Amino acid sequence: MMKTNINLEEMSQQDAIEYLKESVQPEMGAIPASLLGDPKIYDIEHKKVFLKTWLFIGHESEIPNKNDFITRDLAGYSVIISRGSDGEIRGLYNMCTHRGMKLCRADAGNKSSFTCPYHGFNFKNNGDCIGVPLQKDIYGGDFDKSGLGLHKIRIDSYKGLLFGTWNDQAEPLEDFLGEFKWYLDILAGRAEMEVVGPPQRFVIHSNWKIGADNFVGDSYHTMVTHGSIVKLGMVPSATYSKKGYQIHTTNGHGLNLGTPNPDFAFPEELKEEYKSNLTEEQYDVLCNLKNMIGNIFPNLSFLISHTKVKGQLISNTSVRLWRPISVDKMEVITWLLVEKNASSDWKRRSRESFILTFSPSGIFEQDDTEVFTDITAAASGTMPLVKQLTFNYTMGLHRKPVEDFIGPGVVYDDKFTEANQRNFYRYWLDLMTS
Amino acid sequence: MSLEKMLATYEFEQWLYLEAKLLDDIDFDGWFSLLHPDISYSMPVRVNKEGIERPDYSLDMFAFYDDIELLKIRVDRLKTDYAWAEIPPSRTRRSVNNVRLLEYAPNEKAVVNSYLTIYRSRSTDIHHDLISGERQDEFTFVDGEWKLSKRVFIVDQTTLNTRNLAIFV
Ligand code: FES
Ligand SMILES: [Fe+2]
Repeated sequence: MMKTNINLEEMSQQDAIEYLKESVQPEMGAIPASLLGDPKIYDIEHKKVFLKTWLFIGHESEIPNKNDFITRDLAGYSVIISRGSDGEIRGLYNMCTHRGMKLCRADAGNKSSFTCPYHGFNFKNNGDCIGVPLQKDIYGGDFDKSGLGLHKIRIDSYKGLLFGTWNDQAEPLEDFLGEFKWYLDILAGRAEMEVVGPPQRFVIHSNWKIGADNFVGDSYHTMVTHGSIVKLGMVPSATYSKKGYQIHTTNGHGLNLGTPNPDFAFPEELKEEYKSNLTEEQYDVLCNLKNMIGNIFPNLSFLISHTKVKGQLISNTSVRLWRPISVDKMEVITWLLVEKNASSDWKRRSRESFILTFSPSGIFEQDDTEVFTDITAAASGTMPLVKQLTFNYTMGLHRKPVEDFIGPGVVYDDKFTEANQRNFYRYWLDLMTS
Repeated sequence: MSLEKMLATYEFEQWLYLEAKLLDDIDFDGWFSLLHPDISYSMPVRVNKEGIERPDYSLDMFAFYDDIELLKIRVDRLKTDYAWAEIPPSRTRRSVNNVRLLEYAPNEKAVVNSYLTIYRSRSTDIHHDLISGERQDEFTFVDGEWKLSKRVFIVDQTTLNTRNLAIFV
């Protein structure tokens, strides 16, 4: 039996990990509330999850031209993602190698080199140190700049989605995504996709996992939390959120596929482009898609949503990062993706529906944030740990996956199960205790 | 400044104060009646640019990009029993200041800029949110009344420090 006087703060990291092994039981559907509120667990998470896995940093279309760059956060550290004059995309730690000043303070721009505001070292956008003020005079004749290049970050992309990691030993991105790529093809590779404008950013006083948990598997909340949307007639019925499949693959990834859809959710005129980018099976899924909500472990959620706005059906595709700031706070960063070859009218309406439903003012979004905040407040501090408050994640535990679905992964034939959350927490626990 | 412009400035100050009062009092129908049917209501995403490059907000992405129909949806939603984001409603206090009349055609059109600070308190939370920015408004005179026909709200944060925009700016 577990000790009742637990105080993770006073435990060593090893003891805390032992505690997690005992108390987190994804397969039994038991997840302690303290996972959402304990600072010690948050610290371990930073080291064992965020410094270890691939993390989303942006979309290739955000830097389409040579010398374009964006600055992004990678596990709490600012990085420059830059497209060099050779067209190659590189990730560089946004820290001057001389004394550590932050090199670039803009969100985005176009630059072939960066000059440090402290002493003026100059770095090419491939990372090379190319200029040191008064070099000959103050460092002497044979000063070697080659060791002063910016720290390079391992980055990779899949269907335009850019990821980075601080872990040089991390498995290749394609392996990390594994079978989940089949679904990401539909999300981000069905056509040439582009991001619209800069991402939206806002802060919620919420633990980041609540967002990931909500998107990876919680279709159940839609009926209630988003009840107002049904009232407004934007979605068919309160139970529409149950229809479809819940699917997960290895490494904690999971999604919910809302099907069927009597209407085609995407621009009709792009059907040929979709067919050329997808397999027959994937195209079949696309044709029946009503919505698609999921999470790439750990914190990149995505969404295709098809709703009626002003009496007309329209879909929008977005990705969102639940970027942890502290145990009880995160920055939500959302990107809208559209088909590059869609008509300008379709793009305009897709953006309109995105802003109306899933931006900071979004009428879906805002009710979620209210829930996230209150859960975080209730889970914080020592009491949930001392009293061992545990959430029940057993929904659908009695059910067997279906065998005849055309896509990969473990598939359940309706969305009201918590298999995906159990899968998310299983991988989380594996990393935390590794 | 001419007396006419002074009076008009006063009139728009009063208009904006009334609007603030209606929104703070959660009188959405009252607020909605101030809007022109052709309104364009937007809030661009603010960005960090290198140096003094302008504009430092996006022309492509917005936190609001509404016309009268969409604003109506938002107002109707807030009146359902399921709009959790505002159940119970936030306590807000809108302060409008630095009101400047930029263009004025009597009984026709006016362009008015002002600063807005929204204090927002929710539930028992001891944290409050502050949302500040500049409003660039246009008014059209219809049937003896000034209606808001365009609003661009330039928010001062690139990362909004409020959980959502279930409130109007
Ligand atoms: S810290 Fe950058 S040049 Fe010295
Ligand atoms: Fe939701």
